[in-house]
Amino acid sequence: MAEVLARLSSRAIAGGLGVLLLLACSSGGGTSGGGASSTDVTVWTAWGGDELKAFKDVLAPFQSSTGIKVHLTTNRDSTNQIANGIAAGTDLPDIAPGPTDPIQVKSWVSKGALKSIETALGSDAFKAYIDSTYPALTAAPGGASDDPYIGIVGGKHYELMVKTQVKGLFWYNKKVFTGTAPKSFDELLALNPSQFGAQKIFCAGFESGAASGWPASDQIDNIIMRQSGDQVYINWIQGKQKFSSAEIKLGYQTFLKEVSAQNVYGGSNTALSTNFGKAGDPMFNTPPGCLFLEQATFIANFFHQNKGVTAGTDFDFFAHPSMGKSQYDGNVNGFYDNFAMYNDTPAARKLMQYMATKDAQQIWANDGGTLGAIKDLTYKDPIFQRAADIAKGAKNLLVTAGDFMPSDMQKAFWQSLLNVTRDPGSLDKELAHLDQVQAAAYTSS
Amino acid sequence: MGIDQVITSVIAVVGVPLALLGYIIVGEQVIERLSDSVQSWIRPYFWALPAVGFATIFMVYPLLRTVVISFRNSEDTDWIGLANYKYFFTFPDTLTSLRNSLLWLVFYTFFAVFLGLIIAILLDRVRYESLAKIAIFLPVPISAVAASIIWKFMFDYQPPGTPQTGTLNALIGLFGRDPVAWLVNSTTNNAALIFVGIWTAVGFCMVIISASLKAISSEVLEAARIDGANEFQIVRLVVTPLLWPTITVVGTTMLINSLKTFDIVYVMTNGAYDTDVIATQMFSQLQHAHYGRAAAVGVVLFIAIVPLLIVNIRRFQQQEEQR
Repeated sequence: MAEVLARLSSRAIAGGLGVLLLLACSSGGGTSGGGASSTDVTVWTAWGGDELKAFKDVLAPFQSSTGIKVHLTTNRDSTNQIANGIAAGTDLPDIAPGPTDPIQVKSWVSKGALKSIETALGSDAFKAYIDSTYPALTAAPGGASDDPYIGIVGGKHYELMVKTQVKGLFWYNKKVFTGTAPKSFDELLALNPSQFGAQKIFCAGFESGAASGWPASDQIDNIIMRQSGDQVYINWIQGKQKFSSAEIKLGYQTFLKEVSAQNVYGGSNTALSTNFGKAGDPMFNTPPGCLFLEQATFIANFFHQNKGVTAGTDFDFFAHPSMGKSQYDGNVNGFYDNFAMYNDTPAARKLMQYMATKDAQQIWANDGGTLGAIKDLTYKDPIFQRAADIAKGAKNLLVTAGDFMPSDMQKAFWQSLLNVTRDPGSLDKELAHLDQVQAAAYTSS
Repeated sequence: MGIDQVITSVIAVVGVPLALLGYIIVGEQVIERLSDSVQSWIRPYFWALPAVGFATIFMVYPLLRTVVISFRNSEDTDWIGLANYKYFFTFPDTLTSLRNSLLWLVFYTFFAVFLGLIIAILLDRVRYESLAKIAIFLPVPISAVAASIIWKFMFDYQPPGTPQTGTLNALIGLFGRDPVAWLVNSTTNNAALIFVGIWTAVGFCMVIISASLKAISSEVLEAARIDGANEFQIVRLVVTPLLWPTITVVGTTMLINSLKTFDIVYVMTNGAYDTDVIATQMFSQLQHAHYGRAAAVGVVLFIAIVPLLIVNIRRFQQQEEQR
């Protein structure tokens, strides 16, 4: 072996190898992804399908007018990967969604990973952005300097709002439910479904793969924010309100009325085994399985895809009825999509500036399926025009609780809703368990 | 993909093997100049060094680092003693996952090996053996995620009185029974998940056991028959003891697999309705950025697996010696 090797012109090889090794070291240590580019920008998004297509439509005029090349990657694990990237000091995308976990928002800001929107937009464009966007998405309540739930830390904004959805809407088949929208939740529960030829008042579907339970959490969020008010609701998200407290327990008990065997189509097993995307289908069956499905604006696409029905003519929605406390009726549940800047490059700034404009967001509105973050966009779809009116009329646009809890709290919260739906008798045990998780989740040990 | 990445991948694929080659060439030239006794002493270390080096960097160091992290807080800024371990052994969620992992350990391992053994012995005696073996082996190459999605359809639930789209519920509907929400009902969900695991593993056990069954000399079996043993006694008293070393190796492999169970649970329930196992627990702790707790789970899992690994390696060595 040694002789064979020796016969090779070993010195030449060894010399070449030295060079290669040096190259390997230098390029391994210092990959910078192109530095502060003014011609290229890397963007991560979690969107796929129609949402991704809409985003590409939004980006097209930007690319052609500026000549900047957008390198777009769909990455559904972007928060985890960015977290690891920050910890390891490796490359980050120039632009990607900011985290929803408030602890992560603060931590990334303190580490300098998130660049402020004020920096990205410049003062004029920033003022225009604040003036035109739904205030609930850009202003901390009561003028506070911190609201990490919407990316505000130390009075600065770190998340650029681009899209929003309104949640807690009650959808119905117009051919089945011909009555008027109930004014209060009690009126809603008092409806007699057989009067309209339906089996039950509600349909429900809480299955969503590894995220099962979130549709149930939307329902209880909408109850609590209107029943006990925004302050209790926000304290609860922040871990300052125990799950076993009277207000949250009342929320669970009210939620259980919606999913009781008497009120929900197919009973609890059906609600737990049905995917959220198919949950509303029984409304369009003959005879109809239920009168209503509570879900966000995006569900209109699912009805259309699954059942071939058209928004406005075949189905419609009414806003969440009052829980009997008129002072909390202006609380509306919504969520948003944001972009944050991780590398301050000229190209990244230009793209952030562009996405904050009405022109860009109008493209999102035109492609349908979502609300923009800017107040006065126009929607071809009457459903979204009305949803935008609800968002505009909202006193508080409150985020979805689970999405803004630490992720272990979120998982336990979602799964608790599944457990109580399956076994309402376990409520006290579940709430005690949630208190325990809450105590452990909001500390960083 | 940027040009930087292209260069890096070329260096990784071409450069690293070339660098190793260079190490050997240059090293051998140096060693050949040494005296004979030094040469024979240093050469094994020299040749083993790259492998040991890689193993140290990519396996030993991460292992030690995991142990260190398991005693530190989630930000890795302070020592917190045994707090992460205390959490693991006292928190109700992690205790549930421990219980479920134990269920997996016992039932998954037992049924995968037992069914594998029975099927191997039975198929040994039929003419359509290879066809039947292919059928049993078919689930093995399917990835666990795909298998889980297949079984999600099999376990599908529709309200009573409506057409059942899930195969299992359609089947029990034929006997006039109400559908069962297999993955929701806590008396069936762990069993349903373990069943999927067994379904993917039996083929593997069968193939290994069958191979070693073929190696048993037919003379031994004939001798037993002449001595008056019936077929059942032959299986119990002759075949099984002869297969024992193989069964141990397959069994310990299955034990390790059962402790590593992750994908089936993650895809089908993500731990809802009390179906979490240790590995999904470790993953959620990572997701929640509780790196210390995740590391503690990893260390516990590691300690649980080490004895099995030792048994497995000893068995391999014994088999080698027997040859």
